[in-house]
Amino acid sequence: MISMLYFVVESMGSFCSRQQPLNEVDSDENIQAAEIDRRIAQETKTEQHIHKLLLLGAGESGKSTIFKQIRLLFQTGFDEAELRSYTSVIHANVYQTIKILYDGAKELAENEPNSLKYVVRTDNKEIGEKLSEIGSRMDSPCLTKEIAKEIATLWNDTAIQETYSHGNILQVPDCAQYFMENLERFSEVNYIPTKEDVLHARVRTTGVVEIQFSPVGESRKSGEVYRLYDVGGQRNERRKWIHLFEGVTSVIFCAAISEYDQMLFEDDTKNRMMETKELFEWVLKQSCFEKSSFMLFLNKFDIFEKKVHRVPLNVCEWFKDYQPMGSGKQEVEHAYEFVKKKFEELYFQNSKPDCVDRAFKIYRTTALDQKLIKKTFKLVDETLRRRNLIEAGLL
Amino acid sequence: MPQFQQQASWRLEGGGQVIDLETAVKDGILGGGEGGGDLPAGKDGSFGASAEKLDLKKMIEELDSAAEEDVPSVFICPISLEPMVDPVTLCTGQTYERVHILKWFSLGHLTCPTTMQELWDDAVTPNQTLHQLIHAWFSQRYLRLKKRSEDVQGRTAELVKSLRKVKGQARVQALKDLQKILAAHPAVKKTVADSGGVALLSSLLGPFTSHAVGSEVIAILVNLSLDSDARANLMQPAKISLMVDMLNEGTIDTKINCTRFIEMLMEEKSFRSEVVTRLSLLVALLRLVKDKRHPNGIVAGLSLLKSICFHEQVRSLIVSIGAVPQLVELLPNLTPECLELALHILDDLSTIAGGCSALKDCAQTIPNAVRLLMRVSEACTQYALSILWAVCKLAPDECAPLAVEAGLAAKLLLVIQSSYSPELKQRAAELLKLCSLNYTTTLFISKCKLTRTIQ
Repeated sequence: MISMLYFVVESMGSFCSRQQPLNEVDSDENIQAAEIDRRIAQETKTEQHIHKLLLLGAGESGKSTIFKQIRLLFQTGFDEAELRSYTSVIHANVYQTIKILYDGAKELAENEPNSLKYVVRTDNKEIGEKLSEIGSRMDSPCLTKEIAKEIATLWNDTAIQETYSHGNILQVPDCAQYFMENLERFSEVNYIPTKEDVLHARVRTTGVVEIQFSPVGESRKSGEVYRLYDVGGQRNERRKWIHLFEGVTSVIFCAAISEYDQMLFEDDTKNRMMETKELFEWVLKQSCFEKSSFMLFLNKFDIFEKKVHRVPLNVCEWFKDYQPMGSGKQEVEHAYEFVKKKFEELYFQNSKPDCVDRAFKIYRTTALDQKLIKKTFKLVDETLRRRNLIEAGLL
Repeated sequence: MPQFQQQASWRLEGGGQVIDLETAVKDGILGGGEGGGDLPAGKDGSFGASAEKLDLKKMIEELDSAAEEDVPSVFICPISLEPMVDPVTLCTGQTYERVHILKWFSLGHLTCPTTMQELWDDAVTPNQTLHQLIHAWFSQRYLRLKKRSEDVQGRTAELVKSLRKVKGQARVQALKDLQKILAAHPAVKKTVADSGGVALLSSLLGPFTSHAVGSEVIAILVNLSLDSDARANLMQPAKISLMVDMLNEGTIDTKINCTRFIEMLMEEKSFRSEVVTRLSLLVALLRLVKDKRHPNGIVAGLSLLKSICFHEQVRSLIVSIGAVPQLVELLPNLTPECLELALHILDDLSTIAGGCSALKDCAQTIPNAVRLLMRVSEACTQYALSILWAVCKLAPDECAPLAVEAGLAAKLLLVIQSSYSPELKQRAAELLKLCSLNYTTTLFISKCKLTRTIQ
């Protein structure tokens, strides 16, 4: 009906424009104004049915990876052009990684007590210096086979390996191993990144990105539409723009639980977990999220699993009252439950009494695992739909 | 037993219908019952021989417990009012259970009990016809019952097997079907347990279980009897997390199921209090307890809270979520059963410093507690008194006058005069003394009078 009206208005317009007596101009404008109002009303109505999800979290908590996963799962994914565009990113990531490792080894060799194990072999030193220089440039060169071989040699140096295993005090990215293991592939002449590669690639998010999607599957009929927003995780001036997200359906807060022994990129004296804790507290207190559900994604569970055995949780001040229970899988579960309880406590301490009806759920995630994210999102979807029904009084 | 010929027909009084035995039992005057269920017929149409193997007495007993249909009155012995196993007829034409009529004779009576006629012949003739009819009728229903119950067991085993394989909507449907069968035929619980159903259902609960599946599984599990191992398995943190989530989000039935289920798990020896030391669980229970629309939920929630309160370590957590003022404010509207639970919880909470001060800070504590003394039951009075004692002990100058103004003194006198336990009366006397400290004797006595509001 709207389109018909539009047609009528248009044709009227084209008819009238030829011989337009003065008193008819006004009514034309009125009709157009009415049409615009109608359009706005309709769009507002549609907007209300779109569930808005906001991804929040500290830097490198995995928000963007989840964003990419959603794209892969529920949209058409990445086309070839886009995949290609990631080639330079991945190459840059490789250079950055090896630079951090090499520089880190040098630093540890100077400062650590048993420094000898961080000293790189003499014949690798030259490679190391060269790569360190490349990594510091703004534009990195393409990754050739020769350079890839050199990087591989350096990576296999015991000192570098030793540095990697103590990577927590440096800023070694979590996907370092993935990059180093796939060097050969990355350096192929016709290399086009795979989806897996893209998920691992690291680009700092600036500004806001959004996608709109409909979860497919059993809820196809219900036609739920979601819009997911991803914002950069860094500290600067959050409070200025956060209120723009007032009234989102749900806040998805990502916390990388494997970071309890790592320091911030922006400030290497600050423990990352403490930063996450403070950020979560801050978000909970914002009045613009009073009505939003909170989904807490405790991310990087795969890294957490392995780290728990090597590094006790108590190194993080927030977790200092942790008592290990045993070993093996049970210990992992026990540690995870402890972390979960801490976050729960934080949530209830910082939620005002009248927000008690807000939905709050915690999910264990590994953002790089597509199947897991799909399952997790199905649960999120179910929760949000149930919420709707409860609010409408139907449940 | 003589062979029975299917063609035999006879005239019935007042009917004139020509029928045979099978028809009589199946569709005729003796009632056919529901559905099919043919009698097992022998090769020549006689079923006497094979059916005899089913012991009549046993069948009568089992069918009696199933109590589905009324036994036709002609099968009932007039003396015992039970179906006849060995019917014998007297010369008057009346039929009785052999054992009972012989007993009647042995007591010296030579009359027919129903017609009161004197017997001219004391012979008792076994009534073959009636016996055959009784046997046939019971056999048919017995076999039908057996078939149905076997059916049900078969279906249950099938459903459990299918649960191992199906996913998604099919899984939810299978769970719903299983629950329906369990509700209709409780005896099937054993089949579920035998076919590994319990372990299977437990394994369906995990961090990625959808709400739809989880709520059905809990609805089934809560009605099964679980052994120690099963319960220990279900206490895994991930499964408990799922139950807590469902407690938060589910329908009222799901919430009640989860509550009852957790309570059941708490009875297990290997239970550790960390399992329930979860803020989300406690907050969810509090919400359940405050939901006036669902009284069942209130009872279930209070019951679980009481069990949790038993563990001292959790008490401070309960206080920290503001449970005390919320429970105190609920008191006036609770049923007696709920009152006892709520007061018990508050009493437990008063044993820790945080709880006690929370009670003191809540303005409604004293008036509500005083009102409940001697109102509902001895247990309620005991808990209310204990709470008042704790609060007055904590801040006598502040609380004692408030309590006295609310009419505490008169109530305490009633307690002392009551037939309740000596310890309780002793407590009441001590509290009375404590409260009287700030008053002159005459003033205090005037406070002890029952005012209209208390009456």
